[in-house]
Order: sequence, then C-alpha cells, then structure tokens
Amino acid sequence: MITLEGVTKAYRTRTGHNVVLNALNFEFPARSNTGILGRNGAGKSTLLRILSGAEQPDAGRVRREGRISWPIGFSGGFSLALTGRENSRFVARLYGADVNTVSRFAQEFSDLGEYFEMPVRTYSSGMRARLAFALSMAIDFDVYLVDEVTAVGDSRFQKRCREAFLARSERSSVIIVSHDLRTIRSYCSSCAVLHQGQLLGFDSIDAAAAVYEA
Amino acid sequence: MLRSLLLEYQVLHALLLRELQTRFGSHRLGYLWALIEPIIMIGTFAAVWSAFGRGGQLKHDVLSFLATGFIPFILFRETTNRSLYAIDGNKGLLFYTLVRPLDLVVARILLELATQVVVFIVMIAGIAMYRGGLEFHDLLTTMVGLLLASALGGSLGLTLCGLTAFSPSVERIQGPLLRPLFWVSGLFYPATALPLNLKHLSGYNPVLHVVEMVREGWLPGYAAYQTSVSYVLAWILTLTFVGLALERVARRRLQLS
Repeated sequence: MITLEGVTKAYRTRTGHNVVLNALNFEFPARSNTGILGRNGAGKSTLLRILSGAEQPDAGRVRREGRISWPIGFSGGFSLALTGRENSRFVARLYGADVNTVSRFAQEFSDLGEYFEMPVRTYSSGMRARLAFALSMAIDFDVYLVDEVTAVGDSRFQKRCREAFLARSERSSVIIVSHDLRTIRSYCSSCAVLHQGQLLGFDSIDAAAAVYEA
Repeated sequence: MLRSLLLEYQVLHALLLRELQTRFGSHRLGYLWALIEPIIMIGTFAAVWSAFGRGGQLKHDVLSFLATGFIPFILFRETTNRSLYAIDGNKGLLFYTLVRPLDLVVARILLELATQVVVFIVMIAGIAMYRGGLEFHDLLTTMVGLLLASALGGSLGLTLCGLTAFSPSVERIQGPLLRPLFWVSGLFYPATALPLNLKHLSGYNPVLHVVEMVREGWLPGYAAYQTSVSYVLAWILTLTFVGLALERVARRRLQLS
C-alpha cells in the first residue's frame, strides 16, 4: 500500500518553476491494480519515480508498506559493460534474492538466448527493456510500478508479461502509468487521471475514460 | 537497527562486486593496471636519483622510501577522483531505490582502499625479494596511515561531489587542486630535510602527515617530522561533515532523467 500526503514536485525551467505535482493526496489500495492515465508531459514518470522513492518530493510525504519495485520499464540501471547474467546477479544480490534463481528466471523470461552472456552494450533498446522487465518479475515485490508496458517487446512478450502479472496479482498489486486507455483496461480494476498536477481517482475505468477523453 | 545494518551490508556487497567487475573485469590484465602507475613513478624517480647519485643521501632503501611515499598518495588521489564521480557515473543505479547516493561513494572508497592495499603489499613484497630481505618498524602505524589516506581522499571526494551538484565547474578545479599536493606532500623527500620555513608550512598539509605515518611505520629508524593522527582526523571529520550536509541539500536537486 502506498499513500501520498500533500506531495508536491516542481522542476526548475528557464521560465521559472514548473509544478508537476501539486499537493497530491492519494491512497493506492493493497492487492489491487491501479492505472494512472495522463497525457504526455503530465508528470506520470515523475509520479512513478516519487512513488518508488528514487526521487524525493519537494514537499509532503510518501508512506510505503511492503516492498516496492523500481520503476519497471526503465533499463538505465544496467552496467553496459556487464553481461545480462552479470547484471541479473547484481540485482539479485542487491535485493537479497538467490543469485542463481534470479538469473535463471531472467534468462528464461527475457528470452535473450545467447545474448544473455553478452554485454548489455550490444543489446537493442527492446532487448534491454525485456531484460529489465524480466528482472523485475524475478524479484518478489508487494507493489510493482510500471511505466508504459505497451512499449516493451512484441505481442508474444507482452502476453507473457500479462500472465506474469496475473500470477502475481494474488499477492501483489500493480500501479501502471500510461497515456493509453487500452493498456489500463487490460490490467487494472481502478483508475486515476493525472491532470494539471492533480490526481483524480475513479472507481471504474469508464468513468476515468470519460474525464480523460473529454 | 540490525535489519538496516544487514540491508546496508547487502547493498554495499552488491555494489562492491559490481564495481570490481566494471573496473577490472573488462580487461584481461585489469588488475595489472593498478600496479603500472606506481611502478612507473617509483622506477622513474629511482632511476633519475641513481643517475645523479642522489639516493645515497638517504639512509634508507630508495625503493622502499619511494613506495611508502607514492602509494599512500595514489590511494588518497584515486579515492578523491573515484568518489567524486561515483554518483555521476552510476546515476542509473539510483533507480534501484535501495541504493542511496552515499552508498555509491562508500562502495568506491572501499574498493579503492582494497586495491591500493594490495598494490602496497605486492610492491613491498617485490622490493623485499629484490633486496633479499624484509624489515619494517611498526606495522600498525603504516596501516593507520593508509586508512587515514583513504578516509581523507574519500571525505574530500564527498565534499567535491556534493559541490558538483551546485556547480559542475568543480570538476575542473579538482585537477589543479590535487596536482600541487604531489610536490608538497613529501613523496620523494623526507619532510625533515626541508628548509625551516617550508617545513613549518608543510605541517598544515594533511597528506604530508599520512605519508610520513606510512613511512615512519615502515622504515626502521625513519625520523618523521609530523604524524598527528588527530590533525588528520580533524580534516576528515570537517570534510565529511561538509560533504554530508551538501549531500542532503543536493539530494533534492538530483534529477534522474
């Protein structure tokens, strides 16, 4: 469960302060998949970074219960000089998981074949995203934070992702940010819209869609 | 408390192994690189000295004298450099939210210390084999000297690293700041041989203190000029305090994307 209390975040720009999140109050329930809809530049990725704790809000606080994932879909945490396997072993050690179990899972799930033993430098962006996604599935989290799943891999890989999330939704919850209503519909039971620094919650996706598309 | 200590250990352990792989793993002879710089430095100075017949003025073995000067200095300088770039070079890791900026700095300080201690042992062992004998005075003083050199470099690197969040030009002043220290820290002369006014002035340089400590501990009968642990500690604590304070302010300004 994650609770936001008066969370505010602004970035310095040339023309002054750009307030991305303006005193947000929100409660993400446990064991429930929540979608966050927002247009490009609405602050979705910023919100996700703040939820994860990778960035600090300027004001307000974030309460977290349980293990929260890093923003999934982000592959910048890899060392380009190390292989897929070496990067997997690092993440496993970092999160105190079994090194062999995690790298075996990541190898199978990412379906990188012999590229798993090659430096990440040689990967295409799609392959990096697949490895990043596989690794986050290899570690047990209570909350998975996902940035734009639609960008990851081909349809076969996306199917596998959906199944992995379904298998985990008994124990874990998922928070997905996207600008695409279809993505949210296929994963989430409730939805919120991020607009002009505010986060508005809705019980049904249809209600959110009506506001979002207006 | 115990849980957070365990977590800290887990994070540092993972980071250390990763640093080890990225730093040395990509070259087949990666570890040798760490030895090449001190070997060239010590070799050059020893060769020039013997060509000019200067080494004879020292009552100590020339190679050991130079090794006990250069290695603590390299340890200090490299720790400063590596911790200065620890966050910038690893920003992506901060997305794994268990990793805090300070962990990145600490991991690099520890790896550099381990590396240079190995370099010191290899060099000293090499010299002992060449001379056919090993003698040292007080191992503890040498170890304290090396530890303080590491902590001094780390705390300076932390402060500089915090300053870069406010002005990137700090990276440019770091070179000019450290280079003079090569000449004034007693690497290739005993501090007691300096003229009186210079000697007094050099007592303010904490790097000279740690070099003299390592040397006093290693060379039997070496008369050190200044080896004040508390003076060096005062520098370390001040720099650490400033560095941590800067980190707290800089943390909010750190933009990941």
